Amino acid sequence: MNNKEEPIPHNELGRLAALKRYDILDSLPEHAFDDATKLVSYICGVPIAHISFIDETRQWFKSEIGIGVSEVPREISFCRYTIMESKMVEIPDTHLNERFKDDPNVTGGFKVRFYAGIPLTTPDGYNIGTLCAIDHVSKELNENQRNALSIIAKHVINQLELGTKNFQLDAQKKIAERAIQAKDSFLANMSHEIRTPLNAVIGFTDLLAQTKLDAVQKDYIDSVQIAGENLLLIINDILDLSKIESGNLIIETQPFNLKKTLKHVYDLLKVKVHHGIEFNLFLDADMPEMVIGDQGRLNQILVNLTGNALKFTEEGEVTVSVKLLNETEDHYSLRFSVKDSGIGIPQNQLETIFERFKQAEESTTRRFGGTGLGLNIVKQLVELHGAEIKVKSKPNRGSEFFFIFNYKKVKDSQTTPESFTDEKLGKLKILVCEDNILNQKLVKSVIQNFGFELDIAENGEEGIAFLSKNKYDLVLMDLQMPVKDGYQTTEYIRNEMNLAIPIIAMTAHSLVGEQERCYDVGMDAYVPKPFKQAALLEAIQTVMQKDVNAVKKRRMDFSYLDEMAGGDPNFKKEMIALFIEKIPAEVTQLEDAFNNNDTDKTKKLAHNMKSSLDMFMLTDLSACLAIIEQEAVLGTFTSEAADKINILICGINEVVKILNEL
Amino acid sequence: MRIILSEDNDILRKSLSFFLESKGFIVDQFSDGKEALNAIETNDYDLILTDINMPGISGMEITQYVRESLGSDIPIIILTSSGVEQTELDSFDLGANEFIAKPISPAVLLVRINKLLKTRT
Repeated sequence: MNNKEEPIPHNELGRLAALKRYDILDSLPEHAFDDATKLVSYICGVPIAHISFIDETRQWFKSEIGIGVSEVPREISFCRYTIMESKMVEIPDTHLNERFKDDPNVTGGFKVRFYAGIPLTTPDGYNIGTLCAIDHVSKELNENQRNALSIIAKHVINQLELGTKNFQLDAQKKIAERAIQAKDSFLANMSHEIRTPLNAVIGFTDLLAQTKLDAVQKDYIDSVQIAGENLLLIINDILDLSKIESGNLIIETQPFNLKKTLKHVYDLLKVKVHHGIEFNLFLDADMPEMVIGDQGRLNQILVNLTGNALKFTEEGEVTVSVKLLNETEDHYSLRFSVKDSGIGIPQNQLETIFERFKQAEESTTRRFGGTGLGLNIVKQLVELHGAEIKVKSKPNRGSEFFFIFNYKKVKDSQTTPESFTDEKLGKLKILVCEDNILNQKLVKSVIQNFGFELDIAENGEEGIAFLSKNKYDLVLMDLQMPVKDGYQTTEYIRNEMNLAIPIIAMTAHSLVGEQERCYDVGMDAYVPKPFKQAALLEAIQTVMQKDVNAVKKRRMDFSYLDEMAGGDPNFKKEMIALFIEKIPAEVTQLEDAFNNNDTDKTKKLAHNMKSSLDMFMLTDLSACLAIIEQEAVLGTFTSEAADKINILICGINEVVKILNEL
Repeated sequence: MRIILSEDNDILRKSLSFFLESKGFIVDQFSDGKEALNAIETNDYDLILTDINMPGISGMEITQYVRESLGSDIPIIILTSSGVEQTELDSFDLGANEFIAKPISPAVLLVRINKLLKTRT
């Protein structure tokens, strides 16, 4: 070692680059490497073992036993010679070795007497480090031990390779995820861009169809409507697919009326049945009326399958049937089947028909149309229900698609509330926050058709200004607006202005999770664009119904009055009219007397009113009066009486409103 | 049977009259105590039904006047929304025959009226 020339491999630059690629130097300890080191120590029966890597200046130990340091300078390392070799270097006794006998780590230091080192060679041929067994006594390895060392060395390199592959994989995964995200947002944005004008097309066509048209014009408009709706279906299909793919489509579990849903599907498609086809709906007599599940998706599946059946059947019959297979304490097992006597599907294509953009024959698209997405969506929707779609078919004999769904039973308390009955909404005043001029126009016509009044705000900021100036019954809120978007505006209305006014979101965006976000910020309903008049009206009715219900939480009890009236409806009416005529005025008098601190008058009024309220069993309001009367008797009013006055005023307003509506 | 009803709450008074008339009574109704007392003085009633708190003359005053000044033992039922025990005791002291707390059960009122009229005849 005395100033001998330092050993440097001929491919040193490439070797250092290879080492760098693994990014292993100065990394944290890893079990895989420590285990390999232990294995070396066991197999060779030595107290010192290590896995190390050698860069320009040092030997760094990835894993070691019996060394106790993390690195040593390259020029004192035995291994700097080993990486010059292609095979294992074994020195049974360093004292007998010319090169090492005077080495400081032989005479002192680590007192190396036995050394066995095997180069760690990368797949591209660089010796980047070593695997070593060292002892303080001389020894000789047997053939098995030598083989074992070579194998372990290979494993160490494999481990390194695995690390880099994992790293690359991670990077690729991130790229892929970003790409999916980009695709999702592209789809969502595209759908938005397409739906916005489509919204206008369908909406205005809807309005146009209601005007006076001659037969030819009506025919044209019908065609536009059908084309528009078909286009919407295609967009919805694509969106559904992207939702399913991204795992964001959730199967709902809500009670729904199964029979009604099936009849709805039947009625919907009945109009499309060609002449000469018998279209049947067979429902098992034992089939439950109500179940818990996803009504919308079942609808979608059946409409799709039945639509196909009708499309591919020129004569014969198409039958939708449902059979109750099994019933447990809390589940129904139902078999849904759509059977036709149509063209059928060749045996070798029974699998591919469920693939995307594949129809049984290439010519199918030309003959029958369609996106080639329907069955793929159906298959995935059925699978999301934890079921499997199956098909039986013979060419020219027909096909049967069927699947078995398990629906949870509805407990009595879960039955859906009474559906909306045509309740008069009266003349609502509506605020529309919408930036798109076409949509503004459309919403305006639709709302005026309903006979409601409206104001239009160009953006959220303007909407808030309108809200603070005027009184509205309802807000229709576009989500994407300049200045303040629909979410921000809703948050402001709910949290800053503290208004409980119903807010309906309108959006052409069908982004995953958007609906939830709307409800989260405090909106009451959600209308996807392009909206149909009926859908918008239904949403308005639903939220107003909620509102009406909130007011009507007071239930009038006329049993006392009925007893007095002895069943005479006219007398009852007369008394109600009297109540409406007298009581609000008396409440105002009471309020005035209270505000003037006129205890005597307050006492008398409160006392007198109590009898009236008792007649209508308004015990809560009567109790308020009792407290007011009591305080009046004592001669001083506290904040409690003031509270009771307020409750009384609100309560009477409520009652009068209810009585007026009778 | 002829009843005089003195009650200042319109809704209650009209309802009670309607109810009693539907049961076959003739009812003269007054919302003012003084007018009621005038009517009692000039007409012949079978029963007095009166609220305590009324403008003009109270039900207590009517009772006292009927018993002391007119010396009549016509049945008197006092209606009140007061939950105070003393009011009830005072009513009986002055000579009332029945004391009914509001809200009045029409059925109970009818039973009491019939009982009073029966014991009298």
